[in-house]
Amino acid sequence: MNPKKRAVTVAVAGTAIGAAGLAVMAMPAGAGEAPELPPVSAQELVSSVLRADVPALAGTVRIENDLGLPSMPGLPVLDADSARVYHDGDEGSRIALEQGSSELTVVQSGDTVWSYDSAENSATKLTVPAEAREHRAHAEEEFSDPASAAGRMLDYVRQSSTVSVDGTASVADRPAYELVLTPKPTERTLLREVRIAVDSETRVPLRMSVLTNGTTEPALEIGFTDIDFAQQPANLFQFTPPQGATVTEERPQAHDERLPEGAIGEFSGEGWDTVYVGTVPAELTAAPGSEGRDVQGMLDQFGTRVSGDFGSGYAIETKVGTAIVTDDGRFAVGAVPQQVLTDALAQR
Amino acid sequence: MTEVATAPAVPVTGRAHASLARLVRAELRWIFRRPRTLVVLGLLAVIPVIVGIALTLVDSPGPPGGGPGGDGGGESLLATAGGNALVLPVGTLAMALGLLLPLSAAMSGADALAGETAHGTLRGWLLAPVGRGRLLLVKSIGVAVFTVTATVVMALTGVLTGLVINGTGSLFTLSGTTLSFPAAMLKVAIAAGWVALQLWAVGAVALAISAWTEHPMVVLASVLGGVIVFSVLGLLDALDWLHPFLLNHSWTDLGDVLRDPMPGGPLAEGALRAGCYIAIALSLAYARLSTKDG
Repeated sequence: MNPKKRAVTVAVAGTAIGAAGLAVMAMPAGAGEAPELPPVSAQELVSSVLRADVPALAGTVRIENDLGLPSMPGLPVLDADSARVYHDGDEGSRIALEQGSSELTVVQSGDTVWSYDSAENSATKLTVPAEAREHRAHAEEEFSDPASAAGRMLDYVRQSSTVSVDGTASVADRPAYELVLTPKPTERTLLREVRIAVDSETRVPLRMSVLTNGTTEPALEIGFTDIDFAQQPANLFQFTPPQGATVTEERPQAHDERLPEGAIGEFSGEGWDTVYVGTVPAELTAAPGSEGRDVQGMLDQFGTRVSGDFGSGYAIETKVGTAIVTDDGRFAVGAVPQQVLTDALAQR
Repeated sequence: MTEVATAPAVPVTGRAHASLARLVRAELRWIFRRPRTLVVLGLLAVIPVIVGIALTLVDSPGPPGGGPGGDGGGESLLATAGGNALVLPVGTLAMALGLLLPLSAAMSGADALAGETAHGTLRGWLLAPVGRGRLLLVKSIGVAVFTVTATVVMALTGVLTGLVINGTGSLFTLSGTTLSFPAAMLKVAIAAGWVALQLWAVGAVALAISAWTEHPMVVLASVLGGVIVFSVLGLLDALDWLHPFLLNHSWTDLGDVLRDPMPGGPLAEGALRAGCYIAIALSLAYARLSTKDG
C-alpha cells in the first residue's frame, strides 16, 4: 500500500472508531423493548407491593422535572438532580443527594439518623423517639393483611380515578409493570395520569411519572436509572462526623415546633382536585430581607396578579399545579387549574 | 536531539528496532531540558500551595455554601477544601483542568511537532530511518509523560499542603467518611490518573494540529480557543444533544472521586470519551505525518 493510501485509511478508520464511540455515548438510553410479563390485575399488583419488603439494594435515582417552575434562589433541594440510594434490607439506609460539587448525605441505622452537608461541613444527629417508632409499627400492623389493605386502598382511590395495569416497561434494565392512575373525567385537575413502574420480581416501585394534560413528556419523573439488588457493606450505614464538622443533635418533638404557628391550613375538596387552603404565617410576609427571603419580591417576579370574589392576590402557575397567595395573607395550593383555587378561596 | 538524528545512520539494519526506549529517552530528555517545561511544572506545583494557604488565611466564619452553588467543578469544590486535605488536591486539579492544565498539554503537543518544524529539528526525525508511526508514538509518549508529570506534581503538592495545614485526620470525603491514608491516596491517584487521561486527549488533539502546521502558536491558539468554545457550548442548554460529544463535558464530574461510595459511571464515560478523542486525533496526526515530506 502506498503511504498516501495508508494515511487516508488510517485517518478514516481512526476517526470512524472515535466518532462511533462518541455517538454511542450520546445516544439516549432508550426505553428498549417492553418486556413480556405474565398479566396481573391491579389489585394483585398493589397487594404484592404492600406485602413486599424492600430488599438490600444500591441504586441511582434520577429526578427529572419539567414543571415549568421558575428557578428560585434559596431552594437548594430542587437543585439536586441525582441521588444514590443504599438499603440494607432491614433498618439501615443511606441517601446521598448530589448538589453540584457538594453532597448531602443522610444515613439511617435503626433510630439514629445522621445528615451531613459537605458544603458547610456540618452534621446533624437525629434520634427518632420511641413513640414515633411505635406509631410506625402500628401503621405497619394495619397493613399486615396486604390483600385487604390493597382492597381498601383501591376502593378509596377508585372513587376518583381509574386504576389499571397498562403494559410493561423496562426501568433500570429491569422488567416492570406499569400501574396507571387516571383521574375520572369529572375531576378538575391539571394532571393526566400518574404512572408507577413496579419491578416484576421484587415488587419494589422503580419509577413514578406524573403526566399533565397536553404533553407527552412527564412533568415530573423520579426513578432508578440503575439498581442492584445485593447485600451492601455494613459500614455504609454507619456514620462518624469528620474532623472539624459542626455537630448538632436534634430530638424531634411530638409536633414540629419549627413550623410557625398559624401556618396550618386544611384540605378542601376530594380526590384529584383536593386543594390545600390556609393562612400564610405572619413572619413570612413581614419585613423583607430577614434571612434573605423577600417573599413579596418573589411574588412580584414569578406571580401574576389575579382578583375575583376571593379578593386579590398573586397566582403562580406551573404545569402540575397552581398556587394563589392573596393580599390578605391566605393561600391555596393544588394540582388544579386556577379556577378551582379561586372557588375554594371564595368559599372560606 | 543531534544524537538521535545522526545515530541511526550507522546501523541501517536497526531500522525496525532502532530501540524505542532510546528514542523515548532522548525525547524525554529533550522535553524536560526545556526551561519552559520546568517553569510550567513549577508553577503548577505552586498552585495547590497558594490555594491551600489562601483558604486557611481567609477561613471565612460563615458557611461557604451561601453563594449560588453548583456553578462549576473546581470553584465550589474549593469551598470545602479549606479544612480537608483530601479535597484540596482534587479540587485544585479540577480547577486547573478548566484552563491551565489543557494549556500546558497543548504547549507540550505544540512543541512536539510544530515547534520542532519551526526550529528545523523535525527534519532530522523525518530523514532518519525511523518509521513515521514510531515517530508519532515517541512524540505521544512524550506528551503523555509530560501530562502525567504535571498532574502528579500538582496532586503531590496538594496532598502535602493539605496534610501540613490540616493533619492526617482531615482526609474525609464529601459524604463525610474519614479515610485512612492509603485509601485517600488511592482516591487522589484515581483523580490524577483520570485528569492525566483527559489531558492526554487534549495533547493528542494538539499533536494532530501540530502535525498540520509549522507554527506552535497556531496549535496553542486553536486548542485554547477550542477549550473556551467547548465550555461555552457546554453552558447552552439548547445544545444538550451536542454535549456528549464535547471532551470537557465530563470534566466537572471529577468531584465524583470524592464521594463515597464512588459513582463510577460518569468517570468511566469521561475516560471513554477521552479515548475516542485520542483515537481520532492520533489517526489524523499519523495520516499527516506519514505523508509529510522530509
